Amino acid sequence: MEPLILVLGWVGLYCPLALAAIGSSVGCMRAGSAACGALLEVEGGYGRFIGVAALPSSITIYGIVVTMSLRRELTLENSPGVFSLGVLTGLALLYCGIAQGDAIVASINASKSKAEVFGISMAPAALIEGFAVFAFVFALVLAAGIPK
Amino acid sequence: MAEYITLVSSLPYLPPFEKAERSPITRLRLEQRLHSLEADDAKQLAIAEALVSWRLSLAKPKTDKEMVLRCRVALQTITQPALREFIEFRMDQQTILAGLRQRQAGFATPELERASGASRWAGFIASHWDDPDFKLAAVYPWIPKARSYLEANDARSLDSLLMNIIWQRLSLIAESNRFGFEAVFAFVFKWDILQAWLARDAAKATGRFQELIKEVKNGN
Repeated sequence: MEPLILVLGWVGLYCPLALAAIGSSVGCMRAGSAACGALLEVEGGYGRFIGVAALPSSITIYGIVVTMSLRRELTLENSPGVFSLGVLTGLALLYCGIAQGDAIVASINASKSKAEVFGISMAPAALIEGFAVFAFVFALVLAAGIPK
Repeated sequence: MAEYITLVSSLPYLPPFEKAERSPITRLRLEQRLHSLEADDAKQLAIAEALVSWRLSLAKPKTDKEMVLRCRVALQTITQPALREFIEFRMDQQTILAGLRQRQAGFATPELERASGASRWAGFIASHWDDPDFKLAAVYPWIPKARSYLEANDARSLDSLLMNIIWQRLSLIAESNRFGFEAVFAFVFKWDILQAWLARDAAKATGRFQELIKEVKNGN
């Protein structure tokens, strides 16, 4: 039982980074695909499409920081806390990355034929970024309470 | 199921066909974009287009019998549920319209029986031949309107009505999977309607006709 608890601790430790990286990859892939498609249709302003397609990559940065904040010598006392916090933060970041990618796809599709809505159409993606920041900040706050 | 995010994003916005002044994409360019479809999806789309596209095409069946036969073969090949459903929807619409036309032409009984393989309503229409709307108005609320346009020989309004119904159906299909095959084929059929509508512009046709007359006169 004790080795299992320690293994779960290690899983929780790396989860925020691993899951956030997956979420960012999927998000960037979907947004990037939409940006490439839009490049065929529009006459200019290519940079902004490619630029926003990279937005989900920020999720991985949050994952890195949370993983770093959870880093400590894993014991039977702190492993359950690290596991719980790590897995749940990772899942939140994973979903935020994918959802943000989809929001950007929609934004690119809306703004390719109506350039003036580009800014406002990014609002859903910005909101999702906000949710990722909530998950990130509170993970840092709670990580401080896990025994070293 | 394949996702076509790049392809869908590369397609332009299609304005409502009645408000469009020109087609936002040429057939050549559309076909270039459609090259990114998977081979099986492209094949199914080509079969469906040859069968139920709005515009006249040499590839389209010339007789009811041929249409039924082609429809049966097509439905054996087409495995995409949404595309099958759309073909059936179009066949239903065409069968009902054929029934309305036949009755207007004075047929004592419909000659839709042989087309029963193409639409589930062929037999139903035959058995409710005396009803003005074949007792189908509850299922298809557009029938009374279509009948009135047929009786008034208002081909333009009839086309507009039927095209609008298909357009709305395609919009719903596209919404069901915004970056899937559904969105792609919905775009292709909407584009087809738009092209057909633009081609039937009465003012443009008159202008073109007068241009042709001038050309002939000048040539002589």
